[in-house]
Amino acid sequence: MAAFGSFALLIALALAAYNLFAGTIALRLLATGQPVRISPERLADTARRAGIAGFIAVTGAAFALIWSVFNNDFSIAYIMEHSNRALPAAYKFAALWSGQEGSLVLWAWLLGTYGFVLRLTHKTDVKLYAYAGTILAAVQVFFLAVINFAAPPFSLLKGAIPDDGNGLNPLLQYPEMVIHPPMLYLGYVGFTVPFAFALGALMMRYPGEKWIKITRSWTMVTWLFLTMGIFLGMHWAYAVLGWGGYWGWDPVENASFMPWLTGTAFLHSVMMQERKGMMKSWNVWLIFSTFLLTLLGTTLTRGGLVSSVHAFAQSSIANWFYVFMGIVLAVCIFTYILQRSHLKSEQRLESLVSRESSFLFNNLVLLAACFVILWGTLFPILSEYVQGTKVTVGPPFYNRVAVPIGLFLLFLTGVGPLLPWRATSLRAIRRNFVVPSIALWSTVIVCLAVGVRPWKNGAFDAGNFYALVAFAISAGVFTAILSEFLRGAGVISRQTHRNLFAATYLLIRRNTRRYGGYIIHIGVVIVVVGLAGAAFNRSEERELALHDKLPIGPYTLECVGFTQDSNLNYNSEYALLDVYRDGKKQFQITPEKRVYLASQQPQTMVAIHSVPGWDLYVVYEGTNPDTGQPIIKAFLNPLVSWIWAGVVFMVFGTFVALVPSLTPATAALRVPATKPAPSEPALGGGH
Amino acid sequence: MRTASRFTFWIKGAQALALAVAMCFSMGASNASSRFNDLSHRLMCTCGCAQLLGECNHVGCTESGRERNELSAAIASGATDQQILASFAAKYGATALAAPTTHGFDLVAWVAPFAVFAAALLGTILLVRRWSIGKTQAVAQAPDPAMDALREKIRRETGAGNDGGFSA
Amino acid sequence: MTETQGFVAGVMLALALGIYTFWPENVFASQRQKTRLDYLLERKEQLYENLRDLNFEYRAGKYPDEDFAEQRALLENETAQLLAEIEHLQQA
Repeated sequence: MAAFGSFALLIALALAAYNLFAGTIALRLLATGQPVRISPERLADTARRAGIAGFIAVTGAAFALIWSVFNNDFSIAYIMEHSNRALPAAYKFAALWSGQEGSLVLWAWLLGTYGFVLRLTHKTDVKLYAYAGTILAAVQVFFLAVINFAAPPFSLLKGAIPDDGNGLNPLLQYPEMVIHPPMLYLGYVGFTVPFAFALGALMMRYPGEKWIKITRSWTMVTWLFLTMGIFLGMHWAYAVLGWGGYWGWDPVENASFMPWLTGTAFLHSVMMQERKGMMKSWNVWLIFSTFLLTLLGTTLTRGGLVSSVHAFAQSSIANWFYVFMGIVLAVCIFTYILQRSHLKSEQRLESLVSRESSFLFNNLVLLAACFVILWGTLFPILSEYVQGTKVTVGPPFYNRVAVPIGLFLLFLTGVGPLLPWRATSLRAIRRNFVVPSIALWSTVIVCLAVGVRPWKNGAFDAGNFYALVAFAISAGVFTAILSEFLRGAGVISRQTHRNLFAATYLLIRRNTRRYGGYIIHIGVVIVVVGLAGAAFNRSEERELALHDKLPIGPYTLECVGFTQDSNLNYNSEYALLDVYRDGKKQFQITPEKRVYLASQQPQTMVAIHSVPGWDLYVVYEGTNPDTGQPIIKAFLNPLVSWIWAGVVFMVFGTFVALVPSLTPATAALRVPATKPAPSEPALGGGH
Repeated sequence: MRTASRFTFWIKGAQALALAVAMCFSMGASNASSRFNDLSHRLMCTCGCAQLLGECNHVGCTESGRERNELSAAIASGATDQQILASFAAKYGATALAAPTTHGFDLVAWVAPFAVFAAALLGTILLVRRWSIGKTQAVAQAPDPAMDALREKIRRETGAGNDGGFSA
Repeated sequence: MTETQGFVAGVMLALALGIYTFWPENVFASQRQKTRLDYLLERKEQLYENLRDLNFEYRAGKYPDEDFAEQRALLENETAQLLAEIEHLQQA
C-alpha cells in the first residue's frame, strides 16, 4: 500500500501541475485572443478535469494511509510513530493529523475536496471559476510538492520492522480530537477558496460585485468550520489538559484566531462593497491577509519559530512555507498594482452615524485585535533580535491589551444593528437606544448589588471590573438585537396580520443573512458572558485520605476510595469522590490519571460536573509517594457552560444565514409586465 | 422626576467610574495567599510547558512544584513583588516572567498595540470625515416624464406603500 | 498488498485519471464574456434590494420622514437611470 500511496501522491502532483500550467495558458490565450490551433476553452476544460482527477488521486493516497493505519503496517515510518495495535479504531483516523506528514496529506485532501466541489459547480460563472480553479491548483501544487519531496508520508522504515508502533500522543486520545483538527483544517484550507475567487476576480477584472455573492457561502462555511474548530479546541483544552482553563494564548491558538478575526472583518466589510461598491481594495487585502495568516498559522505550528504546547510536529519544512508565503505575497502585490485601476471606487458616506461607519469601526477593531495577537506572538522573536534575550508574552499581556479591545468590539455589536444604512440623523434613532441603555445600566446596578464589584479589599480588581463591563454591555447588546427582531416582526405583523411568531419567522426568512447574523451576535454575547465568568474562578488543592473532605463553593467533596486499574492501552489511578451540597449527597465523581503503555506518557482525565451556573472541575493531580494518597485539585468555574451554549447559537445562526432568502414575488411577476418575461432577471437572494 | 432619577443614575455611574480609576492606582495585594495567587499568575513554569506557574499542573512536571515553594518562601521572607519577580528573572531568565516588563525595549511590547490602535482609530475617523459628503443636496426632481414612469415602476416592484410582496 | 501490486494499482489509477482528463470531449462550457447588460441587471437587483430595505427600515422607524424621502429619491434616481439604460440595451 505504501507504493500505491506514494504513486498516487506523485500522480496528484502531476495533475495539479498540469491544471496550473494548462489553465494559465488557456486563460492567457482567452485574454489576449491570439488565434491558436487548439481551442483555449477546450484546454481550460482539460485543466478543470485534471483538477477533479487530482482530487481522486489525493483521495487514493489518503485512503492508502488510513488503510495502512488500520492494518498496522509498521513498515511505514509514519504509522510506526503515530499508531499502535491497541489503539481504538476511532483514534486510528486521528493518526492522519497527529503528525506532520499525515496532516499535510489531510490538508491536500481537503483542498482537493473544496476544489472538486468548485470545479463541479463551474457553470455558475465559467470564466471566474476557471481563474479560481487555476489559483487553487497553484496552492495544491505547493502542498503536494512539500508532501512528495520534503515530508513523504509513505517512507519506509530502515532496518527491522517493529512488532508494535509508538502509539498516538495520549493528549490526542480524546473524542474531540477526532473532530477538532479536521474542523480547524477545513477552516484553514477553506479560506483558500475565497482567496482564489478574490485574486481571480482581480486578475480578470471581473465586472461588478457578483463574485462576492458567489463566494459568500464558501466564506461562511469556512468561517463556520474555523469557529467550530477553535471552540472544539477550547473545549478539548478545558476537558483534557486539566489546568482549569480553555484558552492560554498559546502561539498556536493565536494562529487559529488571527485568520478568524480577519475573516470576520471580511464577512462584514464585503457588505459595503455589495451594497455600495465601496472598499474594494480593502476587501481584497483582507482576504489576501486572511489566506496569508492561515499559512503563517501552519508555519508557526510546524516551524518551531515560537515555542508552544502544540509543537508536536516540528521540522524543516517551515522553509518551504516561508518561500511559498513570499511568493503568494509577491503575486498579490503584483496583481494588485497591475489591476488597481479596476478597484477604484467612489467612497462616500452620507452620514457619520450609519451602518457603514459602524462597519468601518468594526473592521478597525477586528484588525487591531489581530495586530495585538500577531504582535504578542512575534514579539519574543523581535526581542531576541533587538536585545538578545527572549521574553515571554503570556496571558497577562493579552488579558490587559486584548480584553479592552474585545469589549469595544462587543459594544459595536450592539450599536451597529441599531443604525440603518446610509444617512440618518442621530436624533431619529436615539429612542432605539433607550431600552438597551436601560438594560445596560440596570445590569451594572444588579451586578454591584450582588457583589460583582471592581474593587476587592480596597484594591482595584481588574478581573471583576472587566467582568462587570462585559455583563453590562452583553445585556445592552442582547436587548438591542432583540429589539431589532421585535421591530422588524412588528412591521411584518402589522402588514400581513400574522402573529408575532409567524412574523418573526417570515422576517428571518426574507433576510436570512441579516437575521442569521444577529443570531450569531446573540451567540457571541452568550460566549462573552461565559468568558467573563472566569473572573470568579476558585480552586482548592489538597491531599485526601479516606473520608477526608475538601470544601469548594457550595460543594463538599469527600474521598470514599482510591484505586488502580489497567487495560491493554493504559494503566490508571483514580479517586472516588462523593459530592455533597447542603449536607446532602448529590453525585459521585472520579478524576483519573492514566499512563499510556505504548508511549509511556501520563495523562489526566478530568472529572467535570456542569450546571448552567458553574462547572465543578476536579483533577487527579497525582499520588503522594510517601502516603500513597491522592492529591486532588478542585475548581469551581462559573458560567463555563455558557461558552458552549453560545457556540451552538453561533452555529445555528450561520446555518440560518446560509439559507437563501425568500425573495418577494415581485410586482413584475404578479402584474403583467410590459416586457416579455425572459428578459426579467431572476431575483436571487438579497441583502 | 424622570430627569432627576436619570441625573442620579449618571452620578452613580460617574462615581463608580471614578472609584474604579482611583482603585487602579491603589493596587496592592493584601495577604500572602492572594499575593501568591497574583504572582504565580505573573510567572511562567520553566519546564517548557508554556503554562503559567500558578496553573501548571501537568503530570510529571519537574519544575513547577519547586518553583511554587520558592515563591511561597520569597513571599514569607517579606520581599516586595518587584524583588520577587526580578529574582525569578535573574535565576531562570527573562522568559520566566509571563509578560514583558515595562522598562527598556520591553516597553515597546506594551506601547505598540495601543499606539497602533490609536493611529488606526485616528485614521478611520479622518477617513470617515473625508468620505462623508454630509447632508446630500436636495435632489432635483426629474422633470423627465419617462423617468417618472420608471420611478412608478420601481415603487411598484420594490413594494413601497405595501408589504413588499409578502402578503400573498 | 505487495509492492508490485501497489505499483500496478498506481499505474492503473494514473491511466484512468489520464483518460478522464484528456478524453476528447466536445461538450464543454464556453467562457462567455459578461456583457454590460448582465452587469446592469445585477446592479438593478442590488439597487432594488437596497430600496426594499430602505422601505422596510423606514417602517421600522429608523428614518425620519425627510431623510427617508431624500434617500429614496437618491436611490430611485440612480435606479431609474439604470433601468433606462437597460431598456435601451434590450431594445438595441
